[in-house]
Amino acid sequence: MKFGKMVAILLSILMLIAAIPMAATAETLTLSEEPITLTLWDIATEDPQKSISDAAVQRFMDAYPNVTVEVTHTQNDAYKEKLIIAMSSGQCPDIYIHWGGGPMNEYINSGFAADITELFETYNTVDFLPSAIEQCKYNDKMYAIPYGGIGGCGIFYNKTIFAEIGVEVPTTIAELEAVCDKLVAAGYVPFSLANGSKWTGSMYFMYLATRFGGTEAFAKAVEGTGSFTDEAFMYAASTIQDWVGKGYFPEGVNSLSTDDGQDRQLIYQQKAAMMLHGSWQARSMEADQADWYKANIGYFAFPALEGSTYPQNIVVGTSIGNGFSFNCDGEKLKAAFILATQFFNDDIYNQAQLDANTIPSIVGMGDTIQDQCMQQIWADFSAAPQVQLWYDQYLPPEVGEKHKDLCQDIFGLTMTPLEANQALQDAMAAYNK
Amino acid sequence: MVNRQPTLSLQQRRKRSTAVAATWFLAPALILMVIYIAYPVVETFHISLYTWNGISPDRTFIGWGNWETLLQDSRFWQAFINNIKIMVLSILIQIPIGFLLATFLDADSKKFNLFKVVWFLPLLMSSVAIGFLFQYALATNGGLISTISNLLGGKNIDLLGSPDRALYTVIGVIAWQYIPFYMVYFLAGYSGFDDQIYEAALIDGASRSTFIKVIGMPMMKPTIISACIMSLIGSLKYFDLVFVMTGGGPGYATDIMATYMYSTSFKYFKMGYGSTIAAGMFILITAIAVLVRRVLTGKEER
Repeated sequence: MKFGKMVAILLSILMLIAAIPMAATAETLTLSEEPITLTLWDIATEDPQKSISDAAVQRFMDAYPNVTVEVTHTQNDAYKEKLIIAMSSGQCPDIYIHWGGGPMNEYINSGFAADITELFETYNTVDFLPSAIEQCKYNDKMYAIPYGGIGGCGIFYNKTIFAEIGVEVPTTIAELEAVCDKLVAAGYVPFSLANGSKWTGSMYFMYLATRFGGTEAFAKAVEGTGSFTDEAFMYAASTIQDWVGKGYFPEGVNSLSTDDGQDRQLIYQQKAAMMLHGSWQARSMEADQADWYKANIGYFAFPALEGSTYPQNIVVGTSIGNGFSFNCDGEKLKAAFILATQFFNDDIYNQAQLDANTIPSIVGMGDTIQDQCMQQIWADFSAAPQVQLWYDQYLPPEVGEKHKDLCQDIFGLTMTPLEANQALQDAMAAYNK
Repeated sequence: MVNRQPTLSLQQRRKRSTAVAATWFLAPALILMVIYIAYPVVETFHISLYTWNGISPDRTFIGWGNWETLLQDSRFWQAFINNIKIMVLSILIQIPIGFLLATFLDADSKKFNLFKVVWFLPLLMSSVAIGFLFQYALATNGGLISTISNLLGGKNIDLLGSPDRALYTVIGVIAWQYIPFYMVYFLAGYSGFDDQIYEAALIDGASRSTFIKVIGMPMMKPTIISACIMSLIGSLKYFDLVFVMTGGGPGYATDIMATYMYSTSFKYFKMGYGSTIAAGMFILITAIAVLVRRVLTGKEER
C-alpha cells in the first residue's frame, strides 16, 4: 500500500506541476504610480447593469488609488450618436463600449481603437469563449475586450397555451408551422413580433436563411462570391411572407416597438403564444413579473429545416454582449486593460451578471445559471458549432441598415422576396465596389 | 467740393456714434449667430464635398460627387415628396382650424378661457412625449382607435404600420400638435385689432360673421401669410415626431428629408453624404420659401 500511496502523491504533485503553467500563462501587469485619469463611456443607465458597472469601477479605483475613472452612462440609442460626435470633435473617451461588428471596424479604421493584441496575449487572465475573442478581432488583431454577456436568440413560448391546445415543442420547421396553424385556429397569434424596431424581424430572416444555407451563404454574399438573391435568402423572405399570409404575426406588426415592450405585452396578455427574441428578454420578463414568467414561459431553439445539409444547431446572436475598446496608449492603456479584464470580467462581476440573468462570455460560466430559459440558451450556445453574428452588426453600417429597412418591406408585403433581396444585394455590391 | 459746415460734421458724428453703439449692441447676437448658424451652414456645404465617415481624421475630397448622387437619389426625392405632402396638408389643415379656433375664442375671451387653456395644452408637450403618446393611442392592438373600432364591431385598425396610411396618420398627429400654435398666433393677430373697427362695423349693421369675412380676414392677411410660411418651413424641415413615431418606416413610407439625413449621417456612417442631404434641404427650403413669399406678398403690395 505504501507504494500505491507514493505513486498517488507523486502523481498529484505531477498534476500540480502540470497545472501551474496553465493557470499562470498570463504575466502580471504592473502600473506606475503616476496619477492617471481615465474617461469611460457606457450605456448602463439602469439597474442592475448600472450598479454592476459602477461597482467594478469602484473596486478598480480602490485597488489603484492613483487612477481616477470618470464614468459617463448614456442611454443606449443616444449613446451611438454621442460617441460619433465625440470622435469627430476629438473628444473620444479613453474607454468606450460598442457592439462589435461593422461600427467597431469603422472606429478601428478611423484610429479610435488601440491595437491590444500584445497586451492581450501577454497579460490576459480571463478564459473568454473563443468565439467572443474572435468577435473582438479585426484583420487578426485584437481591438476590444468582451464584457457583458452572450446574447443568442430563440423562441420563448407560453407553456400553458401549448398545453391547452395540446402541442409539443416543435423540432422541425414543418412541426413549427403545424403548431402555428393550431394556434391560429385556436384564436392565438402564433408569434409576437414588434417589427417597428426592424432588427426584431431580422431574426426570422437570419434563422431561416441560416437553417437553409448555414453561415456559408451569408459569408459568401458578403464577400461578393455569393449573392443575397441566392436560394437561402429567397427561402427566408418567401417563408416569412408565407407566414404573414397565414396570420402568424400580429396585426400592425411594423408599427409595434420592442423598445416599449409592445411584443412582451402581447405575451403577457396571452394573445400571442411564442416570441423569437434575444436571450435578454428572459431578464426583462423576469423583471416585469417573475412569478408569472417562471410558471408560464419556456424556451426552445429555432427548429431545424428538414433536408438541409448544413448544421441545424447554429445559434444566431453574439458571443459578446459588448466590447470595450480603448482610445489611449502607454500607462493609460495598461490601466484601461487592467480595468476591463480584472475588474469587469472578475469573479465578483461575473456573479453579479449571473444573478441578473446575463451569462458572461467566459468558458463554463453558464453552467450554474438557475433560470429555466437561460439554462437552455446556454446549452444551445455551448453546443453550437458556429455563431452567426447578427446581420446588422456584421454588415457594414449602411448595408446593415438597409437590411433592417427591408425587413419591414418583407413583413409588410410591400416588396416581393426577389425585390427585397435584390435591393439588399445592390446595397452590398455598392459597398464592395 | 464738400462744404465743411459744422451741422454736417455734427450729423456725421452722430451717425458715427450710432454706428459704434449699434455695433456694440449687435455684437453679442451677431457673434452667436455666426458661431451657431452661419458657420455650421458653411461647414455643412464644405463637408458635402467630401467622402467622410464622420469620425475619421482624414476625409477624401470628391468635389461634386455627392451632389451628383443626390440628384439621382430616388430615396431623397421620395422623402422630398413626403415633405411636400406634409407641407400642403399641414397648411390646409392647421391654418384654417387654428383660425377658426382663434375666431371662436376671440368672440368672448373670458367665457372661453377654459377652452383656451385646454386647446393650448398640446403645444406645451414635447414632440417626443407626443410621439410616444400617439404610438400607444394608435397601436393596432389595444390602441384607442382599434378599441373603439372593436367596440363598434369592427376589426383592429393598423395606422402606423401600414405604408399607405402611416404618413397621413403622422400628418394628423402633427396637426394635433401645431394647431394650438396657429390658434395662439391668430389670437395675437386679433388682439391687434382696434375695438373701434369692430364697433364701427356693428353700427354699420355687420354681423359677427360678416365682420370676420369682410374685415377680419383681409386685415389678418399678413398674419395668415406669415403663418403659412412658418408652417411651410416647419413641415419641410420636420424631424422629431416622425423620428419618434415611425423612424421613417414602415420601409420608407414616412421617410422625410431630415430622417434620411439623420440615418445617413449617424447610422450609415456617411457624414459627407449626410451633409449633402442637409445642404440640399437648405437650398430647397430656402428656394420654396422665397418663391412662396414672392407669390403671396408680391400681389398684395403692388
